Amino acid sequence: MNRRLICLLACLLPWAAHATEVDPVPSVMWAFYHKQFLDNAPFVFDERVKLLAPPFAEDARQVPLEIDARAFKGRVVRIFAWAELNPLPKIVDFQPKAGVLPWLSLRIRIEQATPLRAAVLTDDGVWHVGSTLIDAAGGGCTAPSVVRTQPGWEEHIGEVLGGRYPRGEYSRVRVQVAHPMDNGMVSGIPEFYLNHAQLLGDNGQVMAELELFPAVSENPNLAFDIEGAGQTRLVLRDNSGNEFDAAIP
Amino acid sequence: MRWILLFCLGLGLPAMADMDYALKPRQIAEGTWLLEGSTDNFAKANGGNIVNVAFIVTEAGVVVIDTGPSRRYGEALRQAIASVTAKPVIQVLLTHHHPDHALGNQAFKDVPIGALADTTKLLHEQGDSMAESLYRMVGDWMRGTEVVLPSEVLEPGVRTFGNHDLRLLALTGHTGADLAIFDQSTGVLFAGDLVFYQRALTTPNSPGLGAWLADITTLQGLPWTLVVPGHGPIATDAQPFEQMRDYLTWLDQLLRDGAAHGSDMTEMIRSPIPERFAAISLSRYELIRSVSHLYPRYERAQMHPLLRN
Repeated sequence: MNRRLICLLACLLPWAAHATEVDPVPSVMWAFYHKQFLDNAPFVFDERVKLLAPPFAEDARQVPLEIDARAFKGRVVRIFAWAELNPLPKIVDFQPKAGVLPWLSLRIRIEQATPLRAAVLTDDGVWHVGSTLIDAAGGGCTAPSVVRTQPGWEEHIGEVLGGRYPRGEYSRVRVQVAHPMDNGMVSGIPEFYLNHAQLLGDNGQVMAELELFPAVSENPNLAFDIEGAGQTRLVLRDNSGNEFDAAIP
Repeated sequence: MRWILLFCLGLGLPAMADMDYALKPRQIAEGTWLLEGSTDNFAKANGGNIVNVAFIVTEAGVVVIDTGPSRRYGEALRQAIASVTAKPVIQVLLTHHHPDHALGNQAFKDVPIGALADTTKLLHEQGDSMAESLYRMVGDWMRGTEVVLPSEVLEPGVRTFGNHDLRLLALTGHTGADLAIFDQSTGVLFAGDLVFYQRALTTPNSPGLGAWLADITTLQGLPWTLVVPGHGPIATDAQPFEQMRDYLTWLDQLLRDGAAHGSDMTEMIRSPIPERFAAISLSRYELIRSVSHLYPRYERAQMHPLLRN
């Protein structure tokens, strides 16, 4: 970094405590996505939205991503995440309700080095945008499916592995769903992916609503942090109309 | 125009001249020479010379252990060998299929290149994509480098070259097909990448850390007097084995505890690295990679099928 840039940053710092209009990542697409995905609504780049990913993608087909908006607990309406330079940028649209923390982890595919964004809509109508950069050799979106090379994979579609892990004041619910998550970018294989998930409490109340997009990795991994005890259900649907239902004790 | 050309040439020449591995063989035992690479990551500054390559000058000719990361390295290696002996190269032994050990093969097409059967299979499957990623990381040093598959299948047992009896061991911990070579005549153990020393171990093809730990015990039990790790400095004491055992045990336990606790990969890659590993190069970088390679297995062991209603 040259000295002038450091001076400039140093001057900006006092104003940039949490939220700022200065994009923390180099992006050529922000204005476009702000219009496309956030409908030009008011926003701030906000470091309190933690978007955590490795600095580089060791496996571009399974990149772990953690979205942590717990700083806005109780005020989160929606969390929308995307990978700017992916051919299919949308990742997830997550609406946590009562009893679920505004935190989510999942794994995604990326096609090349890209800025990642998680935009958190709070109840005052402002989008708080968390950002990070990830480096990658690339090819995660167009690589042939691994699931489809495994004999008998069709028999296992919709099988859910998972568990619940106590973590003090809340518990972590993790699931892994057997599904090829075909994104339509591999020749001759049309889109076939889980596009909806619902987390339900023991009285059937909706605890979280998720729309999933084909940037989510095959055999999706999802994790939620849940307050309180009681059985949880995860109901998943794919774009062919299959519905899968898992009970998490 | 002519001036522009000359100017470009002037700019280009020093860059080309810099691209010299400057390999300096160092004698480490009777007839045994080492070319020690850096413990850094692949980079344009080092041309991928991050690996230990060795050769043994026997009465019958020269036995080469691994060929380096590129065609250019392989060629430099041949010149380095010629600088210390007039004897011909008669055999190459590859410890495993990883690109930093096997992409210099092009310079040794005229001699038998021996490897375990599964090493050849893995190099056939993964060689091109590994070479591609090296082109990405070290750039022009790789120019003209192509995968050359081994021409001979090695079986475990003793192979004699002149006055050197080499015991070949077929192990699995690092890649599933790992050759260790114990020179019974000199007591030198060429551990390949089963042993990393002062450089974090890599796991992209490891069948599991348990298998690797078992291999460390096997190797340590040999009557060696000098250990040549695949990466890092040589040693006459058991330090490299102890560091490997400590690191493997720590990593295994870290991943096991993380999975039992329901941690996600992004949390795992932020795990603190114990102070005692501070001298180990690239431990954070390799932890990030190892979590990607290995953690899914640990996670599944801590998950249950969730019955559908």
